[in-house]
Amino acid sequence: MVNTMDINVREADKTSSLQFYWLAELKNGSIVMQFENGIENLFQEVKDRFDELKYFVLYNKNYIYNRFTVDLEKGKIYFQDGYLLSSKDSSTQEKKNIRLIYFRRHKIDFGNNLEEQNHSIVYFLGLQYNDLRGNNYKLILQIDSQGNWSSGE
Amino acid sequence: MPSVHSWSESNGSGEVVTDGIANINFGSNDSYNLAPASYLITAGANSFKKYIRCKFTSTYTEISNMKFWKSAGALGTGEVITAAANATFATPSAGASGDSAIPTTEGTALALNSAEGAATIVYGGSGVSGYTGYLRLQLQTTESTPAGAVAQKTLTFQFDEV
Repeated sequence: MVNTMDINVREADKTSSLQFYWLAELKNGSIVMQFENGIENLFQEVKDRFDELKYFVLYNKNYIYNRFTVDLEKGKIYFQDGYLLSSKDSSTQEKKNIRLIYFRRHKIDFGNNLEEQNHSIVYFLGLQYNDLRGNNYKLILQIDSQGNWSSGE
Repeated sequence: MPSVHSWSESNGSGEVVTDGIANINFGSNDSYNLAPASYLITAGANSFKKYIRCKFTSTYTEISNMKFWKSAGALGTGEVITAAANATFATPSAGASGDSAIPTTEGTALALNSAEGAATIVYGGSGVSGYTGYLRLQLQTTESTPAGAVAQKTLTFQFDEV
């Protein structure tokens, strides 16, 4: 899994309004980071390589141990050193066609002067997969900017 | 930088676009950054319609699931704000829009497309302007609407980004 030292060394831009950044580890061991040496990589680079994804990590830019890791080979989501398990999930259930779910939801309140009264960002992170019968399942975390999270299917 | 958004208003018969507007005040005139005290709305009349859009710039891959609604702020007697999403621009006038009252919950929010009519705004896509479709807004009153400034309203714009 991704080495936190690697994040420390390569991540350079902490000025973004985002609290959580992503990084993707591909099956060949290479890593694509959202911010690398002050330059932002588009998520498109990940979308274009979905089939090659091994891990997708969302980490707090100020505290890298506060991170969520989607294991796209096993269909698991880990929080720090433990892992999360949904009520419908089963470690013995075989998962096929595992796909990443990731987006940020912005909610902006403003008045007639267009000044933002509130701007929340919630990170949606998870996966969906099919079981052997072809049923589709989703496991999604909603993570706020403070790192509080809830899960749903 | 993730996406940056700003608001834009279009005015006049020529659909003159002004990006980075400072307010969306209603008034008895077709102009952006309007000062309400200069363009009072007579009780029983309507404001000029406003055609506004959000414009996304900076770096993003895709914007989707764009929603707009009024989340707070009481309406006074006879006061109605109408709203329509993805409206076709027409020279703004004070004629009644015929649009429905602005939604007040996320569940009933107006769903916006891109200016080009797609459900998503794709960064750097061919022919993609970065604008949402037009929101057409209008303040409507009746003769029973009290004189003076109406109460402040809070509007909410929500979107998903990667």
